[in-house]
Amino acid sequence: MGGKSKSLFRLSMIMLLSLSVVLSGCSGNNSGANTGKGNNSGAAAAGGDGTAKVEPFEISFYIGEAGQQPTPDNKVYKKIKDELGATLNFEFLAGDSEQKLGVMIAGSDFPDVMTSNTKLVTAGALIPLEDLIEEHAPNLKAHYADFWNMMKDPTDGHIYTLPNYGVFNGKVNSTWYSGPAFWIQKEVLKEFNYPKVKTLDEYFDLIAKYKEKYPTIDGSPTIGFEILNSDWRNWGLFNAPQHLIGHPNDGGVVVKDGVAEIFSNKDYAKRYYQKLNEINSLGLLDKETFTQNYDQYMAKLSSGTVLGMFDQHWNFQAAEDSLTTQKKENRTYVGLPLVYDTSIKDYYRDLGALNLNNGFGITVNAKDPVKIIKFMDALMTEEWQKTFSWGFVNEDYIVNENGRFMKTQEQRDNFSDATWKLANKADTLFKFLPKTEGSFSDGNSTDGAAQPEEYQAGLKDFDKEVLAAYGFNSYVDFFSEPPANPIYYPAWSIDLVDGSDAKIANTKLNELSSKFLPKAILAKPADFEQVWNEYTAEIGKTNVKAYEDRINTIIQQRIKDWSK
Amino acid sequence: MDETLLEKKAVRNAKKGIKQRMNWSVIKGQKQLIFMSVPLMLYIILFSYVPIWGWTMAFQDYKPARDFSQQKWVGFKHFEFLFNDDRFWRVLRNTLGMSLINLVLGFATAIILALLLNEIKKVLWKRMVQTISYLPHFLSWVIVTGIVATSLASDGIINDVLMRLHLINEPILWLSKGEYFWGVVGASHIWKEVGWSTIIYLAALASIDPALYEAAEIDGANRYRKMLNVTLPGMKSTIVILLIMSIGHIMDAGFEVQYLLGNGLVVDWSETIDIFVLKYGIAQGNYSLATAGGIFKTVVSITMLLLANWTAKRLGEERLL
Repeated sequence: MGGKSKSLFRLSMIMLLSLSVVLSGCSGNNSGANTGKGNNSGAAAAGGDGTAKVEPFEISFYIGEAGQQPTPDNKVYKKIKDELGATLNFEFLAGDSEQKLGVMIAGSDFPDVMTSNTKLVTAGALIPLEDLIEEHAPNLKAHYADFWNMMKDPTDGHIYTLPNYGVFNGKVNSTWYSGPAFWIQKEVLKEFNYPKVKTLDEYFDLIAKYKEKYPTIDGSPTIGFEILNSDWRNWGLFNAPQHLIGHPNDGGVVVKDGVAEIFSNKDYAKRYYQKLNEINSLGLLDKETFTQNYDQYMAKLSSGTVLGMFDQHWNFQAAEDSLTTQKKENRTYVGLPLVYDTSIKDYYRDLGALNLNNGFGITVNAKDPVKIIKFMDALMTEEWQKTFSWGFVNEDYIVNENGRFMKTQEQRDNFSDATWKLANKADTLFKFLPKTEGSFSDGNSTDGAAQPEEYQAGLKDFDKEVLAAYGFNSYVDFFSEPPANPIYYPAWSIDLVDGSDAKIANTKLNELSSKFLPKAILAKPADFEQVWNEYTAEIGKTNVKAYEDRINTIIQQRIKDWSK
Repeated sequence: MDETLLEKKAVRNAKKGIKQRMNWSVIKGQKQLIFMSVPLMLYIILFSYVPIWGWTMAFQDYKPARDFSQQKWVGFKHFEFLFNDDRFWRVLRNTLGMSLINLVLGFATAIILALLLNEIKKVLWKRMVQTISYLPHFLSWVIVTGIVATSLASDGIINDVLMRLHLINEPILWLSKGEYFWGVVGASHIWKEVGWSTIIYLAALASIDPALYEAAEIDGANRYRKMLNVTLPGMKSTIVILLIMSIGHIMDAGFEVQYLLGNGLVVDWSETIDIFVLKYGIAQGNYSLATAGGIFKTVVSITMLLLANWTAKRLGEERLL
């Protein structure tokens, strides 16, 4: 109740304010023009002309995930303040994201800049950016040149978000795979003399053999396989079947020849879940896998007793960090691109597509959008991008005689130290900013960890051994080279539109899957068939067509609008 | 003294049960009281009555950032969606079920704990028990559910204790069976809230005239007699009032516990109205549906409250209204 009356209060305040603006009439316009001019000088200063005076201003940010405030004397934010005049205030998400956004929207209570979300676009909380970019942001315009049409909202053709990932430049070095895979402990591979694992059956055989040989690890019972299905982290249970048939991650659908259909009730999905059912009856599946929450899951992974799981790398990276800190490198994981049989080519690794649902948008409450877009544009310059990713030269990295960026061991350690990062890096801001990915104009990698010689120099001995055994340069080489993305890819970035039949159907499908799949997997093998039929019958009752239609419509629209 | 008091008839002579007539002299006589209640009235009007205006949302296809006049009116569409959905009735059952368990268990345990604490004569010991029992109240549900999930895990303390006592042979997965879920929620509620709800009863007990105990003792009553015939009747009015108030909250089984402890395996037993409304209302940007759910809850709650109050009146008990 409090929220609603608050909004009413705000509403009346806004009415009062707007009244005062109307009353002040053209004088308001004048002052607006003045600030506009003031800005130009600010942007010029950013361009390198250090003599011009910068007018200090504040920008408030909302970051749609939990995070920590940088320290007050953080050196990157200090540089931003000194050179661009901007003081940044961050508000982080605490609690449930959907609820928080709902409350913000209901109260029209937005900071200047928010991590974008389709919900915000639908509610009219973000302002169109295309004219602002055309007029004031040459760097951003150049950065997004190839993706201009793609960034437009399919419903009204405006650009609301500055996507943060997916725009590549120069040679793309990749040494870290962050996406989905079947993960297996490096120690298991070592135990069996580094076999090549290609299929699902081989994978589970290996786990079974290891578990039999070592029923406990460091005194705790060995856990064969984990599936996390908790709240929004539900892909561990849902997404595997599409990969097993050699399809990239399209979310809830498989797209063939530009036609999308759900796969959760198809035979190839059944095959996977039946296999899991079999695994469970063999005692390889963790009994608690469907009741645990994310913290419990991470605790298990961090203990080093889990042999394998299906997950996305970034989701459990913290557990691997913990294993490394405990000097248990042999318990960290290798991602395997498994398929049903060897005739299928794996397609796990994909070329990062423009992530349309992520990045910053400017809200209707921002007092001076021009200033903000100029600020963002200034940060797009190579100098700033280097500061964000590599840090300060000779402080955080060194340039060797060949002009290549490298780090000393101490600097390397700093970059994996969370406390140090709060004082010396602007990770929160940079994560959601538009950024150069691939290489800078001098050929150095935009991502410190992806600089090939830097990656090799930072490898632990155990990892060197594993990679040497397979003859690979990095763990990414376990995966096939990704082909060029289809134009519409990925389908998971399609906005289903809040409140539409498609979205409701999607919610119901998710609900059914997280209810029936665990039931089917944990059932006695003889009962599996029956639970599966019950599940597919329930899916038949939902409005699957609305969901598929929405995705197909947008796929067709993308093929039409995005083709060059 | 008596005479002056008698002069102010309207003020002082009001007997229980007789309606006092409102007139200017009464208002004048109580102007300090009235003056003091103004901020409170304003608070209630602003935060409890003004927002009722927002109920109009339930009859529209409400879109934020649009004027009232631009909203589309749809009548009872959202209520129909609620009542026609199978899940809604299942969710209603869960809400009422868990709420009733919390209500009954919560009352029983709080009263029993208050009675027991009242019998402890060592002040230090009493304080300690009280402090320990009400501390969990200050933890947020996020933390409490974390503790609950960890204790109920297969290697958690509950299974550990049961195994060592040889009551079970292998760990029970408490959170994988829908049938256990209500019990788990009820138990978590009691662990968190029992000490806190005891405080008000202890306050009620403190106001019982010690002469009553002495009289009972002279009549030969033992400890249990005194508890039964002096202490409990002394608490009765507090219990009834609190019960009526709690019944008004019967539709609030909560949302955090069920949301944080629930999983796919127990979803049929764990989802409450609030979660349903979050999933299909707020998370879908369908604020109208969320409002419709809220109205439904309020109407049921008010009805229950009035019913409970009426029953209490019939039984000749203290009542709220």
